[in-house]
Amino acid sequence: MAFLELDDLTKLFGKLAAVEDVSFKVEQGEVLGIVGPNGSGKTTLINLISGYYKPTRGTISFMGKKISGLRPDEIAKLGVVRTFQSNVLYEKTTLVQSMLMSSRLQYKTSDIESFMETKKYKDEHEGVVGNALQTLQLLDLFNETFRPASVLSHGYQRMLGIALALAANPKVLLLDEPTTGMNYEEAQFVVENIKRINEQGITVLLIEHNMKVLLNVATRVVVLSFGNKIADGNPHEMMNKPEVIEAYLGTETV
Amino acid sequence: MNVWLNRFRTFDWRNTWPKVVAAVPVIIFLLIPVFTQGEIVLNMLILSGIWAVAAMGFTLILRTGQFSLGQAAFMAIGGYTSAIISVVLGWPWWFAFLLSGIVSGIVAMLIGSVVLRVGGIYFSIITLSLTEVIRIIAQQWEPVTHGSRGLITTPPPNIDLGPLHINFMANSVPFYYLTLILVAVTGLVFWQIGKTRMGGTFYAMLANQTLAEHEGIHLMKYRVIAFTLAGVFAGFAGAIYANYLTVISPLIFGLWQSIQIMMMSIVGGMSSLVAGPIIGSTLLYVLGIQLARLPIYGIAQLLYGAVVVLVLIFLPKGTGLIDLWPRIWRKIYREVEEYEIPGETRQED
Amino acid sequence: MPPAGIWIDGLVQSSTYITMAFGMVLVFSILGILNWTHGQYYMLGAVIVYYGVTAAGVPFPISMLVTGLIIAGLGMLVKKVIIDRVSGDLYVGAVTLALIFFFEGLASMLFGMQDKGLANVMPGSMDFGSFSVSYQKIAVVGFTLVVMIAMYIVLNRTKVGLSIRAAAQEPRAASLYGVRVDRVSLIVMGIGCALAAWAGCIMGPVYSINPFIGRIPMIFSLLAIVIGGLGSLSGAIIGGLILGFLNSVMAYYISYYSEVVLFALVIILLLVRPQGLFGAALK
Repeated sequence: MAFLELDDLTKLFGKLAAVEDVSFKVEQGEVLGIVGPNGSGKTTLINLISGYYKPTRGTISFMGKKISGLRPDEIAKLGVVRTFQSNVLYEKTTLVQSMLMSSRLQYKTSDIESFMETKKYKDEHEGVVGNALQTLQLLDLFNETFRPASVLSHGYQRMLGIALALAANPKVLLLDEPTTGMNYEEAQFVVENIKRINEQGITVLLIEHNMKVLLNVATRVVVLSFGNKIADGNPHEMMNKPEVIEAYLGTETV
Repeated sequence: MNVWLNRFRTFDWRNTWPKVVAAVPVIIFLLIPVFTQGEIVLNMLILSGIWAVAAMGFTLILRTGQFSLGQAAFMAIGGYTSAIISVVLGWPWWFAFLLSGIVSGIVAMLIGSVVLRVGGIYFSIITLSLTEVIRIIAQQWEPVTHGSRGLITTPPPNIDLGPLHINFMANSVPFYYLTLILVAVTGLVFWQIGKTRMGGTFYAMLANQTLAEHEGIHLMKYRVIAFTLAGVFAGFAGAIYANYLTVISPLIFGLWQSIQIMMMSIVGGMSSLVAGPIIGSTLLYVLGIQLARLPIYGIAQLLYGAVVVLVLIFLPKGTGLIDLWPRIWRKIYREVEEYEIPGETRQED
Repeated sequence: MPPAGIWIDGLVQSSTYITMAFGMVLVFSILGILNWTHGQYYMLGAVIVYYGVTAAGVPFPISMLVTGLIIAGLGMLVKKVIIDRVSGDLYVGAVTLALIFFFEGLASMLFGMQDKGLANVMPGSMDFGSFSVSYQKIAVVGFTLVVMIAMYIVLNRTKVGLSIRAAAQEPRAASLYGVRVDRVSLIVMGIGCALAAWAGCIMGPVYSINPFIGRIPMIFSLLAIVIGGLGSLSGAIIGGLILGFLNSVMAYYISYYSEVVLFALVIILLLVRPQGLFGAALK
């Protein structure tokens, strides 16, 4: 039984297949990169796994449980949490509040207990606040803790997106192009953090446009082109496969 | 690390001062009947309180990202439930009063769990339709509701507590305290919701629905909770309203009342679940009453509309009157508050 | 089978709702807001045309035209002075709702609380054998046909219409191609308010006039555009027709409960198909 398994996944928009018969398995603890040129269906794939879209055909199962067709919040509750390609954040709230708002899944106490402010809830809450601050510290956002998200720079906003996803206690983290619009150092910093997150035992599914980033961090790579999976394997080998080069650069230049 | 953590402890002197200040108006309101038993003042306060409860419910629903024009409908359901049970069926008054909130809450839960999955403007139109449906039914269901003539309610029974004789018919003081209790209970429940985790959940839904859903918040569940709570308290408010006026007719709970509730909530400020709606409804209700005394027909409505428009134009982008409070507070403290109340942050522009 | 008069009433009602709904749809598709004050422009139209005909003695068609222009100006003024200064859908909605009270108060001050009528503007009726139809009602239906044709021509054949459609579909792209979206939205607000005012003018002689006549047409035209699909003009026509006929025919059988049925139908429709019967998508 695979950890996260996609089986013949297809998503049609009208007649256009954004993702077509894609199957692969994600093992626990790995960093799986998904690459492909623009429009190859990478983001659609994440939208499908996270429940934002319902697949037209095929199934997704997580730890033996079918998750395709569930709502996004149910999928998040099982431990599959995503980030967004654009900066989707709680813009007006301060970072620490955003983190607490995203930390719902860390609580074990019920809403009634939180409403009554029982001792159990208060202790748990303090722990959650500690976790939130630790995550912020881990991602170099600690100095911004009490500023609203909207005043952060683009790079920090992307980091905050990852922090918010981490707050939801993921077992699998789906990162949708975490390094877009970043310069080399910032991208490097993200890569370091992905490694650190992975060391904590979180499986990472990384969508990336930038091959260099992937070579640094991914243990395995799946290549998509026009919604189809065309290759699957070790990232360094991938770079030399003719069909991958073709998908990336086009036939005539080869 | 501990310095940071301190800010989230429940007891914190920074948090305590505003509470002390908030206690002052509470004590003043408790003591008002000692100073004056004038019917005009009490009447104004009772009705402001009733609308405040409904407006608090509106704000709570708004926190989940839904714009409800159905608050008056739930007031009507509560009012009619209490009137029908105590007058037509002849059951005890207090039992009828208790049922008014429960029935209204159950109706809100049933309707909400079907209707709340539609969002945005469509939800407003559905709740608008709902208000009209309830009003027309109240008007046409002659045998039970007595149509537009209205149903005359039975007064609450006298209460004898040893030396204390409470007679609801003698003056407005008992109704004043009944309203005050309702406002206080509603306020405490909503305050507590706003303060604890559920408040954060609601605010997340308002701030970014997609993100909230992807972080494990079951949108429908919390929308139904908010809608039901608002329905329960609106039902109680409607029951008090109907019994205070001694007659309930379809005219007092229509779309226009829903719109007024909405304006009270927005003018008061939706960044606060309790104080904003209370301030908004008190000010707007008192304003409306004072304007209605003007001798020219129509000028009251004109000025009422003008005042609301002016408040919305001249308050800084999307804030209500309550949002002026932190600014004043900061001036007193001469210090920039670093942590913020949801919705209060202005971008540094 | 209800008598012919019921069907004609349905047609007259539909016509009003369609004219009103056109304005609301236009404003919604450009400004992205529901103009809740729409019914009050209808009412102001009726009030102004009443004074134009009775006090100033201007012939009905001319005072109707002038009224439309006045209300268009008023709508643009409201857009410029009030709506543009308020940001956020929620607050714009609240402002237009507050303006309802303002305009009704204004009309009450001018007009008083008595119902007044314009019944003598177009007296007489046309005889169809078993039943007759008053010229006023024919005028209402005819005017709506004219509005429908005019709207079609304006939106499809003129430059203004093209910019309006462009701004409705892709505001950003349109502004890149030189459409001044702020000016277009001002024009649209003017057209929308003028249409509401004209609907009020043409209905003035049919029903009585008082400061509160705007409320019900506003709600019903809102329902009409919801039935047809928010943001679609053809949807508004079909929604208006369905609503007008359904309302008058059902009222014949079950009197006031017909409105309950209507509202219930709208609620169910919105739950099943939020985009309306004919709306493919928003905008």
